[in-house]
Amino acid sequence: MEALLSAENLTKHYKDVVALNDVSFEISDGITGILGENGAGKSTAIKIFLGLLKPSSGRATILGEDASGNIIVRSRLGYMPEHDCLPTNVTAAEFLTHMAEMSGLPPSHARSRAADTLRHAGLFEERYRSMGGYSTGMKQRVKLAQALVHDPAVVLLDEPTAGLDPAGREEMLDLVRKTHRDFGISILFSSHLMADVERTCDRIIVLQGGRLVQSGEVKSFTEETETVFIEIDTNREEFIAALEKRNVDVTQDGGGIFVEGSDETVYDHVRDALVESKAPLRRMGPRRRALTELFERDGDDFSAGAGS
Amino acid sequence: MTNVRDSGAPSASGSAEGPPAEGTVFDIGYQKYEGPREGRNRARMSIYKDGIKNSLGIGRSPKAKILPWLFIGILVMVAGIMALIAGAADRFVGAGTAEAAGLPSHSDYYGIASIILFIFAAISAPELLCPDRRDGVINLYLVRPLTGSDYIIARWASFVSVILVVAWLPQFILLTGLAMGAAEPAEYFKDNWADIPKFVGAGAAVAVYTSILALVVAGFTTRRSYASAFLVGLFVITTPFTVWTAEAIGGTSGQWLSMFNLSNIPVHVNDLLFKEVSGVTSNAPAGEFDAWILISWFAVWTIVPAGILWARYRRLTP
Repeated sequence: MEALLSAENLTKHYKDVVALNDVSFEISDGITGILGENGAGKSTAIKIFLGLLKPSSGRATILGEDASGNIIVRSRLGYMPEHDCLPTNVTAAEFLTHMAEMSGLPPSHARSRAADTLRHAGLFEERYRSMGGYSTGMKQRVKLAQALVHDPAVVLLDEPTAGLDPAGREEMLDLVRKTHRDFGISILFSSHLMADVERTCDRIIVLQGGRLVQSGEVKSFTEETETVFIEIDTNREEFIAALEKRNVDVTQDGGGIFVEGSDETVYDHVRDALVESKAPLRRMGPRRRALTELFERDGDDFSAGAGS
Repeated sequence: MTNVRDSGAPSASGSAEGPPAEGTVFDIGYQKYEGPREGRNRARMSIYKDGIKNSLGIGRSPKAKILPWLFIGILVMVAGIMALIAGAADRFVGAGTAEAAGLPSHSDYYGIASIILFIFAAISAPELLCPDRRDGVINLYLVRPLTGSDYIIARWASFVSVILVVAWLPQFILLTGLAMGAAEPAEYFKDNWADIPKFVGAGAAVAVYTSILALVVAGFTTRRSYASAFLVGLFVITTPFTVWTAEAIGGTSGQWLSMFNLSNIPVHVNDLLFKEVSGVTSNAPAGEFDAWILISWFAVWTIVPAGILWARYRRLTP
């Protein structure tokens, strides 16, 4: 399948600061998450795809066109920014009609698309209210709706869950999934929250300090992010030695011992090592790896089964 | 959790089942858009349309309508009063009295109205540019098939359209009033039709100058009130200041100082078109300059701010 978006050796400098450093990836049909901490280069990458920034070197293409060359390609592109972008003195219906026209739809089509899109975003009842009085959750929905109103081929969502409470976040993630599943629109979705990306995306791109750390199917990440956490009372050295004898990958910090393993056999090894070292077990359980740890990993560790 | 309901028709909004729960999504099935996509021209047109609505408060809150329409009312009223006075003079004193007594007419209107028109522009222009940048809406515009230049040119076009109508309308009202006041309205038109191209030209000069100057100030702040206050202040201060200092200094320097009377710059063009001096410029030393100097000066004051405004918005997209 042809890539909807592709980055080839994309680099962007702001004077001395390197925001993106030789990043290459391709995005095809589906939901792709760009994961990274603040300042990792997520927004810069999105802005280059939108044609708002020119890359210092490398090439960004969108729907087969150069991102900063042909502006007509943006008729098939949707964008939901992270920050506020809504006028306060107009109604959602009028705003969406205007935004549909801005993407090239004739006025009569724009009006009916605006009403339909607001219905899909769950704002049909409030569409004739001035947006100044909307809650944060409603504003996020309008922001998403304006990105979808012209039926784009691909939408770029910059931190769509920012500032939402847990219930609002759940609804937003549902809408994002629905956008792909029911509307057939492909999505590039940036977030600094592992949980959002894990539950919503098919594929993931991890950026750190402007570099591409990792990319691949979400499944391959979630399997690998499961670590077994073990806490024992005594015989710590003996237990670790017994595990290492069984070729189990062991790490430890002050309190606990972490055992890496994506399959069930690791539990058998832990059991046998506990028996052998006579170490009294206090606690044991799976532990989801934190996002920061994912970033600390060297890219090579993930290469098995994580190829894009 | 979002509640997804399936219903057959778009109109079936669930009214039969009582009011829907908060966050209910009515899923009537997504329709792909297969209609025309008109790209850049439609986007420009939409910015133009939106600009007209914003500057007149159409489709906005009643509060947003008060000031623009108040000033349009005042401008029309000025023309109405001028027509009434001239008409009354001709009716009660005798035909031709108004002209003989030098009562204000078409050539004088912009001299009187330019400052009111400018205050109208000072209030409306920030509505066109400031909220887009303050609320961040411009970030949504520029990721659509539209460049920064397209945006600012379409915004200016919408604003100059509004100002043109606001500048011409009172002149047509004045013309109608004067014709009605005359003993033979048809005769009046026959004798005075040449005023129409003159005030159309003068109105265009006033509109272009006023719209560009007001927008360039609005382009440099995100706060509407700052832009309006600065623009009103600019005129309220420069007008008396230049009149007073030009008179005190005199000579060529006085003449040049008088050129900085910002509200008179388009009125000098008006005077050249009508080939007579209007009330406000009759005492201005700048009026003694050659026509080409006055026209060049007007051109500088429109082209330079237009260039600054364009350069500022062009850079928003690479």
